[in-house]
Amino acid sequence: MIASLRPTLLFPVTRTSTEANCTGSWRFVRPVYRFKTAPCSAACPAGIDIPTVEMLASRGQAHDAWAHICRENPFPAVCGRVCFHPCEDACNRAELDAPIAINALERYIGDAGLMAHSPLATPEVAPLQRQVAIVGAGPAGLAAGYFLTQLGMAAEIFESAEEPGGVLRWGIPSYRLPKSVLAAEITRIEKAGVGIHCGRAITPESLNELAARYDAVLVGAGLAATLRLNISGEASIVDGLAFLKQVQTGSAPVVSGEVAVIGGGNTAIDVARTLLRQGARPTIVYRRRRQDMPAFGHEIAAAEAEGVRIVELMAPVSAAADGDGVRLEVQPMTAAEVGSDGRVRAVPAKQALQAMRFNAVFSGIGAEVAEPWHRPADEAGTIRLSHCVIRCAPRAMGYIGDPVTAENSVAHAIGSGKQAAIALHALFSEGPEAVVPAVARCRVGAGPALSLEVYLDGERSRRNGRVVTFADINTDYFPRAERCTIPALTPAAAASGFEEAVATLDSREALAEAARCFNCGICNDCDNCRIFCPEQTIRVGEGGRSVDLDYCKGCGICTVECPRCAMDMEEESA
Amino acid sequence: MRQVLEGSHAISEAVRLAKVQVVAGYPITPQTHIIEAISQHCADGSLKARFIPVESEHSSMAAVVGAAATGVRTFTATSSHGLALMHEMLHWASAARLPIVMGEVNRALGPGWNIWTDQSDSLSQRDTGWIQLYCEDGQDALDTTLIAFRLAETVNLPAMVVIDAFYVSHTFEPVDVPEQETVDRFLPPLAPRFRIDVDHPQALYPMVGPAFFMEMRHSIQDGMAAAGPAFDAIADEFESVFGRRYSAVETVGCQDADLVLVTTGSVTSTARLVVAQQRQQGKRVGLCKIKQFRPFPAETIRAVLGPAPRVAVIDRNVSFGSGGIFAREIQGALCPLDQRPAVYSYIAGLGGRDITPETIAEVLRLAEETPVPEAESRWVGLNPEIKP
Repeated sequence: MIASLRPTLLFPVTRTSTEANCTGSWRFVRPVYRFKTAPCSAACPAGIDIPTVEMLASRGQAHDAWAHICRENPFPAVCGRVCFHPCEDACNRAELDAPIAINALERYIGDAGLMAHSPLATPEVAPLQRQVAIVGAGPAGLAAGYFLTQLGMAAEIFESAEEPGGVLRWGIPSYRLPKSVLAAEITRIEKAGVGIHCGRAITPESLNELAARYDAVLVGAGLAATLRLNISGEASIVDGLAFLKQVQTGSAPVVSGEVAVIGGGNTAIDVARTLLRQGARPTIVYRRRRQDMPAFGHEIAAAEAEGVRIVELMAPVSAAADGDGVRLEVQPMTAAEVGSDGRVRAVPAKQALQAMRFNAVFSGIGAEVAEPWHRPADEAGTIRLSHCVIRCAPRAMGYIGDPVTAENSVAHAIGSGKQAAIALHALFSEGPEAVVPAVARCRVGAGPALSLEVYLDGERSRRNGRVVTFADINTDYFPRAERCTIPALTPAAAASGFEEAVATLDSREALAEAARCFNCGICNDCDNCRIFCPEQTIRVGEGGRSVDLDYCKGCGICTVECPRCAMDMEEESA
Repeated sequence: MRQVLEGSHAISEAVRLAKVQVVAGYPITPQTHIIEAISQHCADGSLKARFIPVESEHSSMAAVVGAAATGVRTFTATSSHGLALMHEMLHWASAARLPIVMGEVNRALGPGWNIWTDQSDSLSQRDTGWIQLYCEDGQDALDTTLIAFRLAETVNLPAMVVIDAFYVSHTFEPVDVPEQETVDRFLPPLAPRFRIDVDHPQALYPMVGPAFFMEMRHSIQDGMAAAGPAFDAIADEFESVFGRRYSAVETVGCQDADLVLVTTGSVTSTARLVVAQQRQQGKRVGLCKIKQFRPFPAETIRAVLGPAPRVAVIDRNVSFGSGGIFAREIQGALCPLDQRPAVYSYIAGLGGRDITPETIAEVLRLAEETPVPEAESRWVGLNPEIKP
C-alpha cells in the first residue's frame, strides 16, 4: 500500500562515458615528472645517489641499497667509517630537525654487503680491449681500477707496500677502520677483476716500462712523505705518519707519559688518539686557533672526549733532546687577518718563547709526495680536471688521488679514480676531444660529485641538475622525528684499546633513520600524485608514473602534494 | 523493553534497530551523544555499520551522500553551526533523491555563543528539500527516527528528525525500546530504486541545463507532495505494529476551542499541562502540535485551525524582518479560507530560555486580551531590565 505512494523520480543519469570529455584541452600548464638532484648527492665527492640509497634502505632492501652505492663507490663499509660526510652538512632535513645520519647508514649498508659476501656487479658495457696500469693501491688507485673494469677495461695495480690500501691501511688507525673491513672490500674489488700486485715499487724507469706495455698509466701514489717542520732539532721529533704505520705493523716503539703531537689536521688527531691508546698522555700543539684546525670536527671532539689535550696558538720553533725526553721551544701566537687561503693567519704574539718538556714529540702536520714524479708536470696537452689530471698524448697518462685533488679525503680519492676512469673511457672510445665534455656531463648538480651511472646513461642521467632546497619540500608530510643515536663506546672505553670506537646501527635503527630521508627530488612511490589527482590521470606502469594528458586539467595538485619535488608544472607550448 | 534513556540515545537506539549500514559523524554539542553511542554500537558489533569519522559536518553529509548513492541505509546527526556548514550538501542530498536520515538537535547559532535550544538552525534549512519531523520527547524521538527511514525511503527524499537541545537530547525519560524483530516487521531492508553499481556503470547527476532543470525540481515537489500521505500511511502501520500513534498534526480539544495554542517540540509537553489546567477552569482552549514541518501539512492545518476564532502560535525561532516562522506558515496555510481565525504570533524561548507554564499562560492571556492581532510577532518574556 505504502509502495503505491512512491513518487516518480527524475534526476539525471548518463551511461555515456565521461571519457568523451577530454578535459585535458582545458589545460595551460602540465605536470611533468622531473626528478632532481638531492643536495646530499651533489655534495658527495664520490657521487653516491643518496636519496635512492636511503629509499631502498628504508624499505629494508639493504642489499639493493648496497648495490646502488657500489655503482658509484666500491667502499661503503670503509666510507661509512671514515668519510667526513659533507652530505650531512648539505641535508635539507637539517632545517626541519636534524640531518639524516647518512654516514652511519652507509656503514650499516656496507656492513650488510660484507656480511652477505655480495660480489660487485659485473660491467654492463662492451669490453674496450684496453689495459691500464695504476701506480699505488690506495683508495684512488683501487677506485680507478674498479671503475675501469666497470667501463670494460683491464686494470693492474702496482703497490710498493706488502699489502694494498695505502692511507686506509697505514694512516687510518684501526679504532676508526678495522683492517678486516678494509681487506674485505679490497678483496671484493680484486674479485671484480682488478689485478693488485703488492711489493712492486715503481721507479721512473719502471714507470716508462709500464707506459710502454699498457694503453695508459694512472699514478696514484699518494702523499707518502711527511712534511718537514723546518725547525732546529727536527731529528728529535718522531714522524707521525711513520709511527701510525709502525702501529699497524706492530713495530711501533713503546711510548708513555706526556707526549706532544704537532699539527692540527687529521693526522695529528690520529697520532694523538693512537698514542692515547698506547698509554701515553698526548697534547696537540697547534700554531693557529683550535677553530682553525683542519681536522674534521667530530674527530677533534672525539679526541678531546677521550682525553687528548689541545694547546692552541703555539708554534714550535725548536726541539732538542733533553735527557730521555725532548725539550720543545714554542712561540706563543695570536690570530691575525684572513690569509690568501681564506683561513685566519696566526702571527707571533709579543710574548717570549716558552719551553715545554715531553717524553716524546711527534709531527702530524701533513704529507707531501714522496717522489717528484708522483705529481703531474705542467706539460703541453695536460688536462686538469676537477679530481684528476689527464694527459692524452704521446701516451695516455693520468694522476689521481691526494696529489691532485682539491681536498684530501677518501671520498675525493674515490671521485678522482672514477673521473680518471671516465676520462680514459672517453679518450679510448671517442678521442681526446671527448674527455672534457664526458666528464662535465656526469657531474651531479653543480657540485664536486661525478656519477658513473650518469656517464652510462642510466636513470640518473635523466635527472634535472637543479638541487632541491628545503623550500621545495612539502613538510606537511614529514613530522619531526629524532635522528638516530649512533652507538659508540664511552670515551674511556674507546681510549683503552684499538677496538672500534663507533658501532654500526642495528637494522631497526637503520630503517627508522632511512625513513626520515626526504628522498629529495626523486619518486619513492608515495602515491600522493595519484591519490590527490581529482581527474585520476596518474598512471603507474612499467616505466614508472605518467600523466594521462587527455584528461589532466593542469590543476597542479599533484605537484603541490608531491612531498619531495619530483614533479614540476610546465607551461603548455601554444 | 522500557529503559531510562536520554533523548539522544533514543535516536541512537533507533539507528541501531534500523540496521543502518553507513554512519558518518562529526561531534558538536548537544548532538555528540547520538553519534557517540552509535560509534560504540559499531565498535561492539551491535550495529554492523561502517562508521566514518570525518573532519567536518560538510564532509559527514558528503560521506553519507556518497554512501547512500550506493544504495545503503545511511544516518548522520548534527546541530546548529554543524547543520549550517552542511547547507550545500543538504541541497545535494535531496536533489539526488537520497533517503538519508539525520538526527538534528535544535540549537541556537552564534554569535551570542550559545549551546542551548532554539529552532533557528533547522528552520534555516527550510528550503533544502528535506522532510522535517519535530519530536516532543524521547519516545517520540525513537519512534520518529524509525518512521523517518520508512518515509524517506518511500519518497526518496532525506529526512531530519529534530529534537530540542537538552530539554530532549539530555533529558532521561522512560522510553520503550522495541525488539529487533518488531522493528524488522515495520522497517524492511532498504530496497534502493537506483544505485551506483560498478557492474552497470553510469554517472549520476551530471550537468542539467535549463531544458530539464525545472522538471527535475518539480519532481522534488512531487516527492514532498507524496510525503504527506505517505507519512499518514506509515504512521498507521507504525501504530498497528507498535501501538503508538503519530500524526503530522496532533490536536487536543480543538473542536470547540475559542483559542487554539500551536506548539512544536518539547514546549508541547508544558502546553499540555497549561491547556488542561485552563480547561479545568472552564476556558475553551485547544492545543495543536505540529510535528511535520516539511512537507507543511497545510490541508490539515486548515481543517484543524480553520474553525477556531483565534490561534496563538509559539515560535521558538524568528525570521528576522518577518516573524515567527510557524506563525507565518500557518497564516499562509489559512489564507485560502473565506473565514479565517485571527492568528497571534509569539516569539519565546530563544537560545534555551525556558518556556515555563507561566510563559504559556502569558501567551494565552495576551491572545485573549488582544482583539486584533498585531502585524508583528510579539516577543514574550523579554527582560525589561536588559536594554540595548
